[in-house]
Amino acid sequence: MSARQPRQAWEARVLARAALGLYPPAWRARYGDEVRALLEDSGSGVRAAASLAWHAVPVWACPPRHLYDRRGRMRASLASVGMAWALLAGLVAVFVQLAQAQRQVQASTLAQHPVITWSYWAFDACLIVSLLAVAAGGVPLWLVMFRRARRARRRRVVACLLVPAVVPAAYLMVSVAVFALVRGPGRPVVPWESRSVVDLANGGVGPRWFLALVVLGLAAAAVSAAGPGLALRRLSPHGPVLVLAARAAFLAAVTMGLAGAASVVAAVGLYLWAPAYAGYHVTWPLAVYLPAVLLAAAVAVVSAARGIRAADPPAVA
Amino acid sequence: MREGLNRWADPPLLVLASLAEESKHGYAITQDIADTMGIRLSAGTLYAAISRLEARGLIEPLESDDRRRPYRLTAAGARELAEQSERMHQVASVAQQRLRVNYGWAGA
Repeated sequence: MSARQPRQAWEARVLARAALGLYPPAWRARYGDEVRALLEDSGSGVRAAASLAWHAVPVWACPPRHLYDRRGRMRASLASVGMAWALLAGLVAVFVQLAQAQRQVQASTLAQHPVITWSYWAFDACLIVSLLAVAAGGVPLWLVMFRRARRARRRRVVACLLVPAVVPAAYLMVSVAVFALVRGPGRPVVPWESRSVVDLANGGVGPRWFLALVVLGLAAAAVSAAGPGLALRRLSPHGPVLVLAARAAFLAAVTMGLAGAASVVAAVGLYLWAPAYAGYHVTWPLAVYLPAVLLAAAVAVVSAARGIRAADPPAVA
Repeated sequence: MREGLNRWADPPLLVLASLAEESKHGYAITQDIADTMGIRLSAGTLYAAISRLEARGLIEPLESDDRRRPYRLTAAGARELAEQSERMHQVASVAQQRLRVNYGWAGA
């Protein structure tokens, strides 16, 4: 046996185990140990790793019926939808700040093009429905989990559940402090000067502070969603309250996705039809906003669809 | 082309045929199939077949303290294997008879 052979065997084993990591958690929990034992007995190789990786694809696409954990699927979907929804909410808040809240640069634009006005109405309506859906599905589930965590004296889980209230409040306080400390008079909007909307609509704190607050806000949104997601994993709630949350999450994700789409239409409309001085003709804010909204909306809607499929499974013939 | 004609080597069928002898764990199944049928199943192929067969109730896992969990054929699995074997036998009989008549094949 050459000196390279043990190393090759070790690499092949590591590869095969990494390939096993490509399988869904339920499949790994059921067959993982057996496959590892088989790999040890048969001396796993690159062929075993490639075969394992290849067969992981159909398992994801069409999970075996006997391993399908409806409640687990709903909980995982709720956690993903929560994260994607929170990021979308953060992104559309940036849109509100840069577009709808800017009366000075918007006044003439809004009156001039109906597509932008309709997009704003659709955006507002979808946002309201989405928020109501989150409240209708999220609050009962949150209350059930909070009561259970308190009764069981699980302080970490209680802390996780309080994160969506504490972190946004802390973020708002930081934002108010930044505004109080660095806010300037703001640059006047003048027709002969072409600048980006971030230069013009940053609330008087300047583009750098504004972008820092945006990044901090998105991080706060992600942390706020991660808290309940972790609590879902720890407490594994079930019953009608979970099904209600999965259905509400679907509505919330779809309407937030539509709100994001409406904001994209409005942003493109502003890019095309706003007067030059309004700052909407600069490409980079749109180039960042568009893919971010589409990606978050796609994740939210796909995760929510998987969750509602688990909540209302199709009848098996 | 050869792949398309290789339906007899369908991994779930090979696993059923292997378990028709006695209950076996994963490694024993691959060894048995390699020894008796000359086909070596990789880990991914074997466990894809096992999970499909288990989902359809054609095989079932047995209790085991070891990580090497054995499987056995269920009554439904035995019926399915019998049906498939009968069909394969019919095809093989017709093919052998015609080869004998038309090509002078003397048999393997």
